[in-house]
Amino acid sequence: MNMINCTNLSKCYSDKTALDNVSLSLEAGEPIALIGPNGAGKTTLMNVLCGYVRASHGSASVLGHPPGSAALHGRLSALPQDAQLDPRLSVGRQLRLFAALQKMGRVQATKDVDRVLELVDLSAAKNQAPAELSHGMRKRVAIAQSLLGNPEVVLLDEPTAGLDPVNVKSIRDLIVSSSRDTTFIVSSHNLDELEKFCTTVIHLDHGQLKDQVDLSAVREKGYLTIKLEQSNTSKIVEDLRNLPGVTDIEKKQQGAFAIRYDESTHPYFDQQLLKFLADNNQTYRHIIKGRTLEDQLFF
Amino acid sequence: MTIARFELVRLFLTMRGWLSLIAFCLIWSILLRYLVYNASGYLLDEKLSLSIGGLTGNRGVQNLLAWPVPEITIFWILALYLFPFFSIILTADQTASDRSRGTLRLINLRATRDEIFFGRFIGQMVIQSLLIIATITTVIGLAIWRDADVFTSSLSLSALVSTNLFVVLLPYTALMALVSVLAKSARQATVYATILWIVCFIFIAWLAPQFPQLTFLEWILPGSQLSSLLQKEGWDTLSLAYIPLMQASILLLVGRWLMQRGDL
Repeated sequence: MNMINCTNLSKCYSDKTALDNVSLSLEAGEPIALIGPNGAGKTTLMNVLCGYVRASHGSASVLGHPPGSAALHGRLSALPQDAQLDPRLSVGRQLRLFAALQKMGRVQATKDVDRVLELVDLSAAKNQAPAELSHGMRKRVAIAQSLLGNPEVVLLDEPTAGLDPVNVKSIRDLIVSSSRDTTFIVSSHNLDELEKFCTTVIHLDHGQLKDQVDLSAVREKGYLTIKLEQSNTSKIVEDLRNLPGVTDIEKKQQGAFAIRYDESTHPYFDQQLLKFLADNNQTYRHIIKGRTLEDQLFF
Repeated sequence: MTIARFELVRLFLTMRGWLSLIAFCLIWSILLRYLVYNASGYLLDEKLSLSIGGLTGNRGVQNLLAWPVPEITIFWILALYLFPFFSIILTADQTASDRSRGTLRLINLRATRDEIFFGRFIGQMVIQSLLIIATITTVIGLAIWRDADVFTSSLSLSALVSTNLFVVLLPYTALMALVSVLAKSARQATVYATILWIVCFIFIAWLAPQFPQLTFLEWILPGSQLSSLLQKEGWDTLSLAYIPLMQASILLLVGRWLMQRGDL
């Protein structure tokens, strides 16, 4: 059984089609990225899957149940975009309510609230009202509520928006460490961020499914992305073209370039490249196996 | 039931809840001190009896004067018109602000829309029941303070009045549950309820004389049975309970439909 199935899913508002005939199926496992420009339909798709809005056409199922079904309570969780807790009641009290609604007893609820607040490093905020917290802290509390219990699927809509780099990293680490038991679907504009922990990418644009990419598969297709320390790379790029196995070189932003090579005849091209750089006294900032997510999807 | 129970937390552990309670207590303490406490004297006052007659008709005055505990008589008349007013204010924010803030989405991950809608409604009815009990207990205290012999009759009259008030408040609370689904804040919900009530009132007042067969429409409005209720005696007052019960059922059904249909 697929974790999520959408068949010809459409959502129309009075003057706009937010989702246009989207069909996809997603398996449980590694984190999944949901990307696309503003207005692409990412939030609408998440809202339909959570049962917050009803599809105009088509159908969707999560873990074999229709969105909004009581059977999904405690199994599907989410960080809805801009959803906030009641600003007047303490964080701990509200999370205990959520835990109680997930059929946890009083003791278990208290323990689980402590656990999730610890995960987002906000144990100290348990007795504070959300109104007393900063934007970033409120976001982390909202992420904490999505981890209550043991949800099988967690939809995170822009989880790192507005967070500082330290907290972005801690949220990323949290997702990676929780991925063994939970499948995360993460919507974000930050492709570099998503690339670090997602293996599948759902690309929406103008409400339509543009692409569904398995990053682990495309990384095998004979690409290396390299960024050198020195800024003037014209000569080195020309020399690289003459390396055995190289079929193409595409210049990217800020001195980076993607080298395409014939992987079938040169399976160890990366070692060959490193030797070439050493022979030419070149140092590099980074080398990525494959192309960046941005390059794969937009160029 | 968890959602209904949490309504008590929302009332007793928030500043807004406490402000509502303080306002309620202040108004009732003034009414209890200056009207209910001197009830026996007022009921002998001819002018006041005439005013009550304006509300209830002559038969109503005779019925009310026959009640053995005048404090409860005055409380009954006041409560019948004031509790609905408090109800509209106290129960306005059943789902409105939680929806506009997105809190309802977090709850909906753990509870169905029906559980949220009916849970909040039940919670509000529990709160109002507690307020009715607290107020009438004070009234009984005042009556016993004057004459300890009225204790037994106070208890039976209190049960009658409390039951009737609970039934009277059902459609008002259901109406606020409905408009709360449409509104984005408690204030907006109150405005919607007021507009809805006035429009229906004017429409029915205009329609009924032209189409006498449609006079039954006057029973659509919550509170339409209040003046008739004052003319009933004892537990016979519950003979009109079908009106608020039907109003509440219809309003809840419409509210539930809107809750199911709308976006969160």
